[in-house]
Amino acid sequence: MTVKVNAGRKPKSTGAVTTDSPASFLAIETPQTSQFLFAVSERMPDNLPKKNEATIGYFTVVNDERTGWTGGLLVLDRAGRPLEFQCTLPVRPTRAHEILFGPTLRSHLVAQVIGKLLLSKCRTPLSLICCDLPEGLKVESFTKSPVTLVLEATSQDRHPISADSISGSETVSIAGATFLVAMERHAELEAIADFYNDLPDAVEPFERIREAVKEAHSQLSRQNSEAA
Amino acid sequence: MSFFSTRPRDTPADASELTAEIDPLHSWVTESMFAVDTCELSLPNIEPVALPIRLPKLTTQVRGFQFPDAARWIPPKSSTPDQAGAATEAKKKRKSDPNRKHNRIKPPSDIVKLQDRLYYLLQPPLDLLVGSGQLNFPFEPFPYQLDGMAFLFPRYAGILADEMGLGKTMQAISTIRLLLCSGEVRSVLLVCPKPLVTNWLREFSVWAPEIPIAAIEGSSAKREFQWRSPQVPVKVANYELLMRDQSILTDDSMHFDLVVLDEAQRIKNRSSTTSTVVRSIPRTRSWALTGTPVENCPDDLVGIFEFLSPGYLKPGMPMPQIAKHAGDYILRRTKDMVLDDMPPKLYRDAELDLTPEQWSTYEAAEKEGVLYLENLEQSLTIQHVFELVLRLKQICNFDPVTGSSAKLERLVADVEEVAASGKKAIVFSQWVKSLDKIRDALEPFGPLEYHGKIPQKKRNTVIDRFKNDPDSHVILMSYGAGSVGLNLQFCEYVFLFDRWWNPAIEDQAINRAHRLGAAGAVTVTKMMAMNTIEQRINDVLDQKREMFDALFSSSETPTRNVGLSREEIFGLFDLRAPCGKKVA
Repeated sequence: MTVKVNAGRKPKSTGAVTTDSPASFLAIETPQTSQFLFAVSERMPDNLPKKNEATIGYFTVVNDERTGWTGGLLVLDRAGRPLEFQCTLPVRPTRAHEILFGPTLRSHLVAQVIGKLLLSKCRTPLSLICCDLPEGLKVESFTKSPVTLVLEATSQDRHPISADSISGSETVSIAGATFLVAMERHAELEAIADFYNDLPDAVEPFERIREAVKEAHSQLSRQNSEAA
Repeated sequence: MSFFSTRPRDTPADASELTAEIDPLHSWVTESMFAVDTCELSLPNIEPVALPIRLPKLTTQVRGFQFPDAARWIPPKSSTPDQAGAATEAKKKRKSDPNRKHNRIKPPSDIVKLQDRLYYLLQPPLDLLVGSGQLNFPFEPFPYQLDGMAFLFPRYAGILADEMGLGKTMQAISTIRLLLCSGEVRSVLLVCPKPLVTNWLREFSVWAPEIPIAAIEGSSAKREFQWRSPQVPVKVANYELLMRDQSILTDDSMHFDLVVLDEAQRIKNRSSTTSTVVRSIPRTRSWALTGTPVENCPDDLVGIFEFLSPGYLKPGMPMPQIAKHAGDYILRRTKDMVLDDMPPKLYRDAELDLTPEQWSTYEAAEKEGVLYLENLEQSLTIQHVFELVLRLKQICNFDPVTGSSAKLERLVADVEEVAASGKKAIVFSQWVKSLDKIRDALEPFGPLEYHGKIPQKKRNTVIDRFKNDPDSHVILMSYGAGSVGLNLQFCEYVFLFDRWWNPAIEDQAINRAHRLGAAGAVTVTKMMAMNTIEQRINDVLDQKREMFDALFSSSETPTRNVGLSREEIFGLFDLRAPCGKKVA
């Protein structure tokens, strides 16, 4: 008699895992002037996503004194279910970087080092990208999708930043939250805003990224300590 | 050498105007002593040196994870206009609250692969799915119940050990529903004590109406067919039946994705036949539900773990080690812990089906009784109807011929759990005869009696003993004797074995246990035989209660006198009151 007890205690793999080699590095450059300073006439692309295929990418960067700067991009379907998660290894700028980049280091790390790489590795087509750091808006240079800032998720002196603190932008309400977008992409965002009516909460997914980054870090440190 | 010429001072006041002058004729300077010349010195050029500081490129690596199946684990949306409307309303109202604690699914420690851990971590919190109308329940679950579901969902081995009355059944059913909808499991076996089988079926019809479920019962051939039927994803069987069907269960072709044991303390003894049979069921996930995971000694837990994860705990392990090992597998909440989440009085409707013996007696008595009442015509009085109602209610308690009782079976199972947790309970009935029968069945739990047949002078002694005797877990009371003037707030459980006509009297009885200063929340179990006179009375009372609440929702009157009127009593049997019109 064969008895199968707890034959499959480990869950089946839920998808593909990819590990990518380091991306090529951009030359150090001064931060570009904010695109939002220029009022550009609104454009409406012909190829708007279909409602059923609409996705939303949540992008944030977590800075931890011990580990460094880690970026996460969580792609959700329009109902808030995870489709894909891309996560960087921590980046640790040196003292020389801190001195020579000065106040521009943060923006450089968020947009040009981490954001650009995450977007380039993402496999799921993104209909919309949102971030909780104003610096994240600069990833717009690396994607065709509108990039937005979720005001309720931002924090400045423990308060969300105000809509008028970023010039050249307008707001759209999605799933109970205020999305700030460059005014030239405003109409485009308005057109797809209703796709996300089923999104349970527009702010909470940033928390999921932070939890996932924490999980990845703890596993990494476990592996390192085991290896040692 | 220099010489100063001075003017003679005339008066002391002139002294302040004293002046000195150099006489060039009698002075000398340095040039007159040294020859002056210039000389030239050559200095080497200063050559600056550039030291390069290399600024390394800031780079990083990316790990990617895809979750192709993620979008499918929501149960189908309700099509009823009411619920759809509520969902839309919920969407409109929602607003992010950064301080809100979410009910997140967290991966257990035995899931190691990062991909799998992230799959669970990155799911939306259950409270948000409920709030946005994506996940529907017939009644809104308490936050701790969502936590329970979030605990069970990712677990391949787990014990839900909530105190009795917190809704273990509902939490298990709702999680099974999510797992079935997500396709993570396809076949589920629920094992419970025999008296609880109908309860599980009924609870399933409430919390997961779209999931087909069947109780394994009947002849051996019928059971074999049921066991092997792939059409029904959820099967319910009682412990005794598993022993009879062991050969089918251990067949190579038999496999369950999930086996759930209710009242899992039944397998605490590892060498018992029940434990052996249950452990032999081929399965992928194993869950245990019990309000008392440890009854006598820590080895009880080892017995349950033999089912969950054989060999993980060993008999005789030191307590701290057991606690450390078992911690991630067990979720236990007591009423005190979740008091903020739940009302201080928690009502549980134990809706029971009569046993076959009770049912045949009941049907015959009702048929015969109604015929008799109809034949009375103009001489029919309310007293006649009362008599029939009382007779039928007595049958709902116990079959007068065989003594069989669905309520008693359930009561014994529940009091067993109350006693095992060291708690105390009050059982109310309107008949002393019913209480006598209950006393015999509850003998192992030290039953005491407090009703009209107990002499007045002995009653205080009974109460004192009930308070102080740790072996006495249950007191049997009649509504009349036990409903006023007593404080039994150390009791956390109240069972209404049969129902009184008037909810105000029931409330008084319940309030014996639920008073100011009560130790904790009180769980009230109202036993009701379905499709009988008891359910009809209950429906009428519920309607009246709703009407009362709608009219006087702001009123804080603790008890409402909403008993049955004369017309309503006649209406219970669809009879025409002699001097009035027919009451439907």
